[in-house]
Amino acid sequence: MKRFIFKTVLISIITLSLILVIMSRADGHTDAFYIRFTTPKQQSMILGTSRAAQGLQPTVFEQILKKDINNFSFTVSHSPFGKVYFESIKRKHNKKAGGLFIISVDPWSISSQCSLPNNLSQFRENQFCLNKTKIVNLNPNFFYIFSNLSGKYKNLLFQRHTNMFLHKNGWLEISNIKMDSNSVAARVKRKLETYRNTNLPKTKFSSTRLQYLIKTINYLKEYGDVYLVRLPIHENMMEIEKDLMIDFDLMINEAIKLSDGYLDMTPQNSLYNYTDGNHLHKYSGKKVSKIIAKWILDNNKFI
Amino acid sequence: MLFNSIDFAIFLPIVFLLYWFVANKNLKLQNFLIVAASYLFYGWWDWRFLSLILFSTVIDYNIGRKLRIEENQTNRIILLWTSILVNLGFLGFFKYYNFFLDNFITAFSFFGTEIKVNSLNIILPVGISFYTFQTLSYTIDIYKRKLEPTKDFISFSAFVSFFPQLVAGPIERATHLLPQFYIKRTFVYSKAVDGMRQILWGLFKKIVIADNCAEYANLIFNNSTDYSGSTLVIGAIFFTFQIYGDFSGYSDIAIGTTRLFGFDLKQNFNFPYFSRDIAEFWRRWHISLSTWFRDYLYIPLGGSRGGTLMKVRNTFIIFIVSGFWHGANWSFVVWGTLNAIYFLPLLLTNKNRNHIDIVAKGKLLPSFKELLLMLLTFILIVFAWIFFRAENIGHAFSYISSIISPSLLSTPYIIEAGTGRPILPKTILLLIGIFVFIEWLGRDGQYAIEKFVLKWPKYLRWTFYCLMVVGIFLYSGQKQDFIYFQF
Repeated sequence: MKRFIFKTVLISIITLSLILVIMSRADGHTDAFYIRFTTPKQQSMILGTSRAAQGLQPTVFEQILKKDINNFSFTVSHSPFGKVYFESIKRKHNKKAGGLFIISVDPWSISSQCSLPNNLSQFRENQFCLNKTKIVNLNPNFFYIFSNLSGKYKNLLFQRHTNMFLHKNGWLEISNIKMDSNSVAARVKRKLETYRNTNLPKTKFSSTRLQYLIKTINYLKEYGDVYLVRLPIHENMMEIEKDLMIDFDLMINEAIKLSDGYLDMTPQNSLYNYTDGNHLHKYSGKKVSKIIAKWILDNNKFI
Repeated sequence: MLFNSIDFAIFLPIVFLLYWFVANKNLKLQNFLIVAASYLFYGWWDWRFLSLILFSTVIDYNIGRKLRIEENQTNRIILLWTSILVNLGFLGFFKYYNFFLDNFITAFSFFGTEIKVNSLNIILPVGISFYTFQTLSYTIDIYKRKLEPTKDFISFSAFVSFFPQLVAGPIERATHLLPQFYIKRTFVYSKAVDGMRQILWGLFKKIVIADNCAEYANLIFNNSTDYSGSTLVIGAIFFTFQIYGDFSGYSDIAIGTTRLFGFDLKQNFNFPYFSRDIAEFWRRWHISLSTWFRDYLYIPLGGSRGGTLMKVRNTFIIFIVSGFWHGANWSFVVWGTLNAIYFLPLLLTNKNRNHIDIVAKGKLLPSFKELLLMLLTFILIVFAWIFFRAENIGHAFSYISSIISPSLLSTPYIIEAGTGRPILPKTILLLIGIFVFIEWLGRDGQYAIEKFVLKWPKYLRWTFYCLMVVGIFLYSGQKQDFIYFQF
């Protein structure tokens, strides 16, 4: 019996060590979210959907504001405002005062794609990583790997580099993407078609999500300054957003009042480049990040 | 609780240690621990249905005791039928109620009478088909005086609910498993190691082969109208390996687990895809169910002893009932019927026992004739699985008609989920190739890696085990439920 237990334990240790080594290979190439669950708890955060994840670059904020900040934004499927994102933000936050929080808002992040837009149990983020990963500051994060990378473990060993790389500060960099006018136009066309024909008909404003945005601001306000920003998007995407919520600023008025400032950058939509109409290209993202950082620095809250 | 879950990985060592270190002095305590662990294992999924198992256990235990003392034949028949009706009643209600209701309504509407009866939202209790058959075998064997009823309720409860084989078999006979609960189990090192090896192989089959094949089989079957004939053939082959890896993998884990506790269960799969005809396939596929139907249905009906008409009738009955056992859908009935049609010519020409021994025994490669027979049998099996996997008969026929088209000769491809790119999943095809090769090498054992690994030096064996565990981790597919849980 002892021999059996000894050998079983030994073989388990050997194999678990090998698996651990493989897991430790997980990095910014693994997927678009993993790294955000491996960094320490944060004092300052950038929050929002993929527009913020790709568009807002923490290094720019750090240079201008002289403050460490981490991008904890995901996608419109993963991190629209709601219970799941709120709880995850609380887990990631280190509960220290003096923080800075930049929250990217748009009509999609306070809307739902389900028959009952206010029914929490129907929210699609329930089945994704933010809800499945309760520990958000472990490296390597076995919990994340086991619950979210099922069926993809071989990619940890034989990594295929894509055009996405998630930096340690949470910024999702998209590179090696064709930015000639034809390629961009084709991607924009595809994205707009998806949003116009697929997403828009299914999406409805959710008062529950709006309440969670307010709840999130209230929570963060206890620990620092909270700024709301609406990031620029392609002109045609803006038209779709107007169809979804023409009076967006009015809808989030209560959230704006609670915050330390709201910067709507959509009037400058035409000034920037987009990879697909929905996301800023990294060079434009850098410019936008600089503008927001300076706006915060100058405390120029109401443009 | 699923075998391929973290929960089970924690549960099993705890039960193992309690069993051998805390309860080892007392047989009753060991059996009680098995019952408690089994109820926990089952209740992990849904505790409400524990009452069904407990009810079946109490009924059959008492009927068994009464059958022993009852001499009056009429009363004995009443007791037997009480057990049959209670057990099949539960099974019928939970599994077939809505099916019969829907068909009843359809039949009436066909004759112009519209009836409105609401179907019930019934959850099928996991494993009900398995433990029902296991307890039925107990009562029937006592009725036939092949078995003495037990006086030990705990042993009987352990027999009915034994967690490794509770939810998806193998369906053990009381004559084989129940006596093992009466005698003190001793820990045998070689047996436990063998059990671990079988668990490892079972996990490989389930997690690597079945789950990966499931991903593509589901993709192809669920979007069958979008794919060419050649891709649909690949889809059917993926399902063929999915169901084998899934079910035989479960059986391997179950059997291996029982060996850790000092038990022996019978082999449930004996390399069925190396069969040279359908009769051989059915002697090698889900052996515990096939033999159950043989002993408790086919033989009581007269088996193959009567005239041709009786042979034909009995063959169809056993295969159709077997199909229906799998699920409340006409597609399972067609699957059973198809197998009866495959089997019948062999039975009527007395060729159904032509291939008893293992194929190419003692040889590395089969003869050309053997290879051809295996290939032909495999094609028939794959074809039949289409009915088993399809949503309904209509879907099966449209799937088959799409195969029989000029696109059968085109290059197969699958639309990758997420990217939308056309791909051929080479990695899983390679894994299937390796799997078939290892199964072929180990086809004279109870499971593929039972014997040939033992011939290797220790360091190589250890390396193999470690690499297998790492391989299972790396090549695990998207986690899927065991297919046979739904039966």
